[in-house]
Amino acid sequence: MKVKVISRILEANDRIAEDNRRLFNEKGIYVINLMSGPGAGKTSLLVKTIEALKDSVSIGVIEGDITGTEDAERIHSTGVPVVQINTGGACHLDANMIEEVLPELPLDSIQLLFIENVGNLVCPAEFNVGEDIKVMLLSVTEGEDKPLKYPLMFQESAALVLNKVDLLPYLDLDMERLKERAMSLNPKLKVFELSCKTGSGLDAWTDYLFRMVAEKNR
Amino acid sequence: MHEVSIAQSILDIILKECEKINCKKINSVTIRVGRASGVVVDSLVFAFDIIKKDTIAEKAELLCEEVPLTAICVNCNKDFISDEEYILNCPYCGKSEFKVIGGRELDILEMDVEEQ
Ligand SMILES: Nc1nc2c(ncn2[C@@H]2O[C@H](COP(=O)(O)OP(=O)(O)O)[C@@H](O)[C@H]2O)c(=O)[nH]1
Ligand SMILES: [Mg+2]
Ligand SMILES: [Zn+2]
Repeated sequence: MKVKVISRILEANDRIAEDNRRLFNEKGIYVINLMSGPGAGKTSLLVKTIEALKDSVSIGVIEGDITGTEDAERIHSTGVPVVQINTGGACHLDANMIEEVLPELPLDSIQLLFIENVGNLVCPAEFNVGEDIKVMLLSVTEGEDKPLKYPLMFQESAALVLNKVDLLPYLDLDMERLKERAMSLNPKLKVFELSCKTGSGLDAWTDYLFRMVAEKNR
Repeated sequence: MHEVSIAQSILDIILKECEKINCKKINSVTIRVGRASGVVVDSLVFAFDIIKKDTIAEKAELLCEEVPLTAICVNCNKDFISDEEYILNCPYCGKSEFKVIGGRELDILEMDVEEQ
């Protein structure tokens, strides 16, 4: 006997993501789901961003990792509230994991919440967690073929941060080609070129965040 | 990769459905997977075959209907199908602004179950 079961497979996740989103909106929190491959510099970017913005914006962080607490400790030392999620093997954060740790954060006093996703270029893009935007971080050492190999990631993201530009002199990367490919997958993509090591290009990124937070709280 | 969590979601949904209609065995489940959904069908089937053990879906086959990536060009208004997992340019006018209209699906369609 055939039985119709028309249903979105990720429906359960999306429902919880909507609950999270409602809560974030109620509290006026701007939420960024930060995604990249392992080692592209997500935690470094967060540390730099917090240092630059923490006097003007109150920030909170959710750290997702397969295991370990090093990243959360790095964030903790900047003085902003942080909770660690260990996915225990899962290659992405899902909405349920986020919902479970929200009570551990002082949501009433957070204006900008970063969610550092598990380092992985494939899966995180499919799982909404209730964020306002997804931001993809790509280190320039990863090569210009990434947009072609991980199109969904580029299409789902509102902004692309190209990190480690201090290393460009040592690479044969064709930056224009990389940007062209990324933009053709997603013409609305905002691109930031920066270095977490030297701090170059960080201003444009933090200005953008500041504007987005201000807009949400207007 | 995350095919395991997707397989688990499929299993959760169909088992719940079977509870509702009170059926005891699932022969197959048909899903629709877009080419640009980011899901690898082989891995999904592999994962499903592992996690279905010891459930009423133990014998169930996961049937995947793949949906090609289709889009409408914002510039010239023509629609087109791609064999790839991504589209870079409109094949008619070469512009790269388009609306994806198919290929992102990840849905359960139906299941075949034993009647009591
Ligand atoms: N040269 C250089 N190294 C960087 C930069 N940003 C991060 N790194 C290094 O890249 C490595 C991984 O950074 P991390 O922030 O832990 O990456 P995550 O895994 O994405 O969180 C660390 O050794 C950082 O010091 C950068 O802009 N330039
Ligand atoms: Mg990290
Ligand atoms: Zn066209």
